[in-house]
Amino acid sequence: MRAGESADLFAPDVPERPARPVPRKTVTPPRPVAPAAAAQALCAELWLGVQVVVGEAPPAQEPSSALTRLATLALRLTPRVALAPPDGLLLEVRGSLHLFGAVEGLRREMHAACEQCGLRGTLAFAPTPLAALTAARAGQPLAVLDAAQLIGRLSPLPLTALRWPPRLLERLACIGVRTIGQALRLPRAGFAQRFGAAQRKDLDRLTGHAGDPRERFEARLRFRRRRELPFELDSRTALLAALGPLLAELEQFLEARQCGVLTLECRLWHRGHRPSRSTLRLAAPLADARRLEELLAERLGALSLPAPVHACELRSGLPVPRVALSGGLWQPGEQGGSPQAGAPQLIERLRARLGSEAIHGLACAQDHRPEAAWRATEPGERSGEGPGACRCAASPLWLLPSPRRLPERGGLPRYRGGLRLASEPERIETGWWDGAEVARDYYIALDSHGRRLWLFRERSPPHRWFLHGVFG
Amino acid sequence: MMEYAELHCLSNFTFLRGASHPRDLITQAARLGYTALALTDECSVSGVVRAHVAAKEQGLKLIVGSELRLACGLKLVVLATDRHGYGRLCRLITCARRAAAKGGYHLTRAGLDGLDHCLILWLPGEPARAAEARWLAERFPGTAWIAVELLRGGADRERLETLRRIGRETGLRLVAGGDVHMHVRSRRRLQDALTAIRLNVPIAQAGSRLYPNGERYLRERQRLGRLYPPELLEETVSIAQRCVFSLDELRYEYPRELVPPGETPATHLRKLTEEGVRRRWPQGIPSSERAALEHELALIAALRYEPYFLTVHDIVAFARRRGILCQGRGSAANSRVCYCLGVTAVDPQRGAQLMFERFISKERNEPPDIDIDFEHERREEVIQYVYDKYGRARAAIAATVIRYRPRSALRDLGKAFGLDPGQCARLAGTMQWWDGGEALTQRLREAGFDPDDPVLARLLPLARELSAFPGFPRHLSQHVGGFVISAGRLDELVPVENAAMEGRTVVQWDKDDLDALGLLKVDLLALGMLTALRKAFDLIDRFRGTRHALGALPAEDPQVYEMISRADTIGVFQIESRAQMAMLPRLRPKEYYDLVIEVAIVRPGPIQGDMVHPYLRRRQGHEAVSYPSDAVQDVLSRTLGVPIFQEQVMRLAVVAAGFTPGQADQLRRAMGAWKRTGGIGHFRDKLLSGMTSRGYSEEFAQRIYRQMLGFGEYGFPEAHAASFALLAYDSAWLKCHEPAAFTAALLNSQPMGFYAPAQLVRDARSHGVEVRPVDVCESDWDCTLEPMADGEPALRLGLRLVKGLSGHGAERLLEARRPSPFASVQDLARRAGLERCDLEALAAAGALASLSGNRHFAFWDVAGTERPLPLETPAAVAAEGAGSQPRPLLTTPTEGEGIVADYASLGLTLARHPLALLRAPLHGARLCGAGEIARLGHGSWVRIAGIVLMRQRPPSANGVTFLTLEDETGQVNVIVWERVGEQYRRALVDSRLLEVHGRLQREEGVAHLVARRLIDRSALLGQLLTRSRDFH
Repeated sequence: MRAGESADLFAPDVPERPARPVPRKTVTPPRPVAPAAAAQALCAELWLGVQVVVGEAPPAQEPSSALTRLATLALRLTPRVALAPPDGLLLEVRGSLHLFGAVEGLRREMHAACEQCGLRGTLAFAPTPLAALTAARAGQPLAVLDAAQLIGRLSPLPLTALRWPPRLLERLACIGVRTIGQALRLPRAGFAQRFGAAQRKDLDRLTGHAGDPRERFEARLRFRRRRELPFELDSRTALLAALGPLLAELEQFLEARQCGVLTLECRLWHRGHRPSRSTLRLAAPLADARRLEELLAERLGALSLPAPVHACELRSGLPVPRVALSGGLWQPGEQGGSPQAGAPQLIERLRARLGSEAIHGLACAQDHRPEAAWRATEPGERSGEGPGACRCAASPLWLLPSPRRLPERGGLPRYRGGLRLASEPERIETGWWDGAEVARDYYIALDSHGRRLWLFRERSPPHRWFLHGVFG
Repeated sequence: MMEYAELHCLSNFTFLRGASHPRDLITQAARLGYTALALTDECSVSGVVRAHVAAKEQGLKLIVGSELRLACGLKLVVLATDRHGYGRLCRLITCARRAAAKGGYHLTRAGLDGLDHCLILWLPGEPARAAEARWLAERFPGTAWIAVELLRGGADRERLETLRRIGRETGLRLVAGGDVHMHVRSRRRLQDALTAIRLNVPIAQAGSRLYPNGERYLRERQRLGRLYPPELLEETVSIAQRCVFSLDELRYEYPRELVPPGETPATHLRKLTEEGVRRRWPQGIPSSERAALEHELALIAALRYEPYFLTVHDIVAFARRRGILCQGRGSAANSRVCYCLGVTAVDPQRGAQLMFERFISKERNEPPDIDIDFEHERREEVIQYVYDKYGRARAAIAATVIRYRPRSALRDLGKAFGLDPGQCARLAGTMQWWDGGEALTQRLREAGFDPDDPVLARLLPLARELSAFPGFPRHLSQHVGGFVISAGRLDELVPVENAAMEGRTVVQWDKDDLDALGLLKVDLLALGMLTALRKAFDLIDRFRGTRHALGALPAEDPQVYEMISRADTIGVFQIESRAQMAMLPRLRPKEYYDLVIEVAIVRPGPIQGDMVHPYLRRRQGHEAVSYPSDAVQDVLSRTLGVPIFQEQVMRLAVVAAGFTPGQADQLRRAMGAWKRTGGIGHFRDKLLSGMTSRGYSEEFAQRIYRQMLGFGEYGFPEAHAASFALLAYDSAWLKCHEPAAFTAALLNSQPMGFYAPAQLVRDARSHGVEVRPVDVCESDWDCTLEPMADGEPALRLGLRLVKGLSGHGAERLLEARRPSPFASVQDLARRAGLERCDLEALAAAGALASLSGNRHFAFWDVAGTERPLPLETPAAVAAEGAGSQPRPLLTTPTEGEGIVADYASLGLTLARHPLALLRAPLHGARLCGAGEIARLGHGSWVRIAGIVLMRQRPPSANGVTFLTLEDETGQVNVIVWERVGEQYRRALVDSRLLEVHGRLQREEGVAHLVARRLIDRSALLGQLLTRSRDFH
C-alpha cells in the first residue's frame, strides 16, 4: 500500500462536499451514550428535539431515509444523535452550544440541514430528551435551558404529543385530563394503577426523574476505495490483479457487517480522458471477492479503454443484509451438488455479458388471447401458475411478434402461394376489457411446402386474414 | 330447417353465471322457432315460474329441469317428464341445498337415488370420462343421454368422435345441447363480467376461467344445422316430447288438520264464526250484518277457502294465548268473518263498505291474502309455532329475490374492472339513493371520474344491463314474513333451501311466483307499534292497575282528535311523519273514519293523482260536493266524491265502466305495474268507452283515468288504512292521556317509528312529563314509571339506552342491586362482577353520577376498580373497597362536554339543547331560532340554523327534498327544490348542522321554509368539544 491512497476509507453516506467544514472537535472517539443515570446528569445535558414534516419540495427518498440523512447531517453538530422514528430526531447539544453560536446558532444550523433534506422541522430544547421531543411534537419551539423551569413549561402541552396509544388518551380525556400538567398532578400510584406503569415512567422520563438512554445513531457506510497505480496499465489481466486488494478489503468490510452488495461500480482513471465506469448489478447480495472478481473480469472484457489506467476505484452501493450460505461441500454439478445454486451464477454471467435486459424468464399467463397467454418475468421468479393453466387447444410455440396481414384470393388467404385450411375454426372472442379485444376464428393451414401455419380470420367485417404463428 | 329444442339453458337465476332473464330467453327461443326450451338453472327452479308465464304468452313449450354438479365432478342436466318427476327433482334440489350453507349445495351420486320420471343428460367434462357414462347407463337405463355441446373450441369434431365412441361403448344416445348462458351473443361482455364477480377477481385476471368465446347463446337453427349431425338435433325434439310436465298441473292443497274430527272445514268455520258473533254482538247481530256475513261465508264456501281462514284463525289464536298483540289487515281480514274470528278489531260497520271481492273473487281462482301484524319483538315466537305445527317439510318462508340496483351493480362491476375499493365506493356513491340516471355524468365528474374514460365507457353499459328493470337477481333472501303452508310435502311442490338466518328455510319462489301459481301465503309481519302498545298497556297496568286492550280504549275521544288536529303527533302510529303532520291541521280529523282517510291520503298515489286538494276544498266547504250519478255517489260519498282508496277506483270501474270485479282486480294489478310494463292501454279504452256509454261525461272519464294512472302502484287500500287507523287512534289516545307510559313504551320498543329517542323524550318533556336520568341505583333495563309526589308517573330512563352496556352485564347489575343499594363504584363492580367495558359504558352514560359525581370522577373510579380474586372474602373486599385512596383533583366537565357525552352514549340529553350553547355565535351571525318563526308572517325572509333531523326525498315529489331542522326552540320544516338542492348538494347531503336562508310559506297553520341557500355549519358542533378544551 502506498501513501497516495485516499484517506476516507469508510466514507459516510453524505453528500460529497459538506456544506461547511466539520469542526475537528466533534470527531470524538465513538462511545455509547451514557446511560443517563439520574437527575444530576440533567444539568449536564441539553437535548435538541426535532420533529420533521415533509416540506414543500418533496424529498428524493422515503421520509424515513430522509430522516436518516438528516441524522447523518446532524452528526456534524454533535456526536450524540439518536433517531426517534418515524419523524423525530434527538441531539445532545450541551457541548455544541458554544461552537455553533448557542441556541440560535444551533437552530439555524438544524433548519438548514432540514431544508437540505427536503424537510421542515420544529425544534425544541430541553434538559431531557423526551421533553425536547415532546415539545417539538407539540409544535412548540421551546428552549428550556434551566431544569427548574421544565415542569412549568411542559404543563400546558397536550398529552397527545407523547404519542400514547389513542385508546389510553381517550380514557384520560374521559377524566378530563388532556395536558401534561394535568397528568402530572394525578396521584402517582393511582395513575400507574389505572393507566399503566409504563406511562407513569414516561412522565418521569419527561421530567428527568427517570433515566432515558437513547440508542446512538451511526451513519450507514458504503465502501469506497481508490488506489493509485504504481505505473499505468492497459492489460485487463494486470488491471484485475491491481483491483484484487481492493476486492479483498471490500469482502472484509462486507463480512464484518454480514452484508453483501447488489451494485458495485468500478472506475478507472486515464490521463486526459474522463474515467471509464462499469457497474455490476447482482441478482443477490454478494460479498465473495472471487465471484466479484470473475464478474468484474467479464465486465472489463467488454469495456473499451480510451487510454492506459493510472488509478482505480471501487464504490459499493448500500450494503444489504445477506443470508450467509455455508459453502457447499461439492461444487455445482459435482456429486450431490445442487444445480439450482448454479442458476443465479449463470444468469449473472449472461447478464454481465449481454446486458440485463437481454435475459428474462417465461411464464404462462391466463388469457384466451394467444398474444397475452405468456409474459416475461424476472429470471428465477416463480410464475405461480402450473403448466395446466395454459391453453389446451392446439397452438404453436412460435408466435409472430404481431400478427401479419395476409393477402387473399377468393376469400382464402395466401402466404407465399395458396394455403389449405386443415382444421375447423377455433373461436376466440375476448379481451374487451383492456382495449385489446379480439374476435377471431383460428385455423391451422398448410402451405405448399406442407408447413403448418396458424392463421386467423377476423370475425368482424372486412374479415381480414392474418398469420399468427408457425408450428414447429 | 331442423327442428330443435334447447335442453340445457341457464338464466340469470343461476346467479352470476346466466346473463339473461328467463323472459328474454323464452322470447328469443320462440322467435327462433325452437320447439321447446328447458330452463335448467343450477340446482334451482327459481326462474321457472317467470319462464312459465312468458312461455304461455309466447306459446312456447317450457321444460323444467336443473343443471347439477355432483361432489365427484359428475355434471348433469335433469329434466322432469311429469308431475311425479318434478316432485322428485324438487326433493333432490331440497336435499342438496339443505346439505350446504346458504347459496351452495352438496350432492353425491347416492343423492340421485329416488330420482325417477326424469331424463338425464350427461355433460361430459374435458376430457370426457367414459366411466361416468358407464355409471349413468347402468343407473338410468334408457333415460340418460350424452349431451354434445359444440362451441367452436377448435376441436369440436374430435370431441364429437370421442363422445360417439363412448356412446357406442355404453349404449347411451347422443343429443345436441347449447350450454346456453345468454339469449343473444351480445351479452358476452356481461357474462364475462358476471364470471369475474362470481370468482371475485378482476376480469383481467380471470383469464382462462372466462369462456373463450360467446357461443353460449340461443343459436339460430340454421347455424345449429351446420354444426350438428341431424340425428343429434332430432333427438332434442324427441326428448322434449317426452317431457310433458307443466307448472299448471301444480295443485295446491290446504292443510287439513285444523278441522276437528267429525267436522268439515265449512262446519268448523261456521262454528267458530258463530262463537264470534255472540262475542261481538252480545245483544244480537243486526240483520244487515247477518246478511253480509252469510254472503261472505257463501263466497268462501264456493271457493273452498275455509282452510285458509282456519289457518289464519289458528295463528291468531296462538298469538292471543301467548299475549302477543296482533292485527290482521287486507280486505279479507276486514271481513265480518275475520271480525268474528278475532283476526281484526275493525268493526266492519265502523269501517264502512269494505270490498271483500278484492281478495276473494269467484272469477279468479286466486287465494285470499291476509297480512297479520305482530309485535315486532315477538314475531319469532309465532314463526316458530308455525314451523312446529306444520313441520319444516310443509312450511317455509317465501323467498325475496335480491336484485342488482344501479348502486350495487356499479360497486360489483367496479371491482370486476379492478378499481380499488375506494374508487368502487365513490363510484357506487355517485348513485345517491335519490338520483336519476340523467345526472350520472355530472355525478361521475363530481366524484372525480372522467365520464369519457374507456374503463367507465365499458363499465357503464354493463351496469345499465345489470340493473335495468327488474334487475339481475343476486341471491335469494327471505321474504319479510310470507309463509307457505301446504297439506302435503312442500318440497315436492317447490325446493326449499337454507336462509342466511339460523333455523330459517325459504322456498325457491318469491311472492309473485306464488301468486302466479295460486299458492297460499300468509304474511306474518312485524310491527313495532304493536310492541309499543302492548308495553304501554303493561306499564299502565302495573302503575295504575288499569288494564287496557287493543281496539278497546274509550272511542272517539274529542281530546284525542283535538291533539291530532294540532299535529301534536310525535310517536303516534302512521300520522307522525312530517307529511302527515302537515296535513293534520288542514284535515282536522274528528272521528275514526277521518283517520282512515288521513292514513291513506298522505301517500304518493293520491298526491300524484291530485286528489288531496279537491278533497280538502270539499271538506272545508270551499267546493260543492257533486256526483255524476247515484251509483258513483254510492262509491264516493264517504270521501266527498274524490276517490282516495284503491278499492274506490276499482268500484268505479265496476259501477261506472261495467267491469266485473275480477276485471277490476286485473286493472289494479296493471295499475301497480304500468310504469314498468308500459301502460294500461287496453284498459283505457274499455274504461273510457264503458263510462261514456253509461252516460258519464268524457271529462269525468278522463279525470278518473288520470287519477288511476296517478295512483299507480302507490294507491293505498282502504282495508289496510282501516286497520292502521285503529292503531293510530289507540296510540294517539295513549299519547294524550298517558304520555309517560307511552313514551316509555316507545323507548322500550326501539328501534321503530319515525323519531329517535332524543325527539321522543324532548316531546314528552314539553308535554310536562318529568324525565329522570339513567342511574345505576334506580334504573331498570327498560324505561320505567316512578311515582311523583302528586301520584302521577315520571319517566325513568332505562339502562337499555346506555350504548355499549351488555345485556348480561345489566342483568348482573340488577341482580346485585336487589339485596342492598350500592355504596360505591368499587362496590358495584365487585358485587355485580362487571366487565371493565360495561363499567365504562355506565360512566360514559353518566349513570354513575349518584355514586361518583361527575363523569370525570366516574371514569377515575371505574379505572381504579379491580375484579375480585376468587379467594377474597366479601368482608375483606368491603374493608378495602371503601377506597382509602385519595381523590385526585379533576376538572368538572363543561356543559358542552356533558351534552356531547350524553348524545354519544344515550342518543339524547336531559340538559340543554346543543344549539342553546351555540346561540351566541348563531345570533351574532344574525340567525334566528325556530321559535321565532311562529311570529313571522307569510313571505318573510328567514335565516336559520338547526340540526338536521331528517332528510326525505319521496319519489313522488319530483326531486324535492324535505328537511326537518331542530334547535333548542323547536323544529322547522324546510323544502328544498331540486334546482337549489343541486346547487348546494354537498351541504344538503352532508351537513349535521345546516344553515338555511329562505322564504317562509304559511298555509292553514302550516309553516314551511322554502330554501334558497344552504350552508354546512357542522364545524360549529365540533366546537362544543374543542372550545371546552380551551378552558383549561
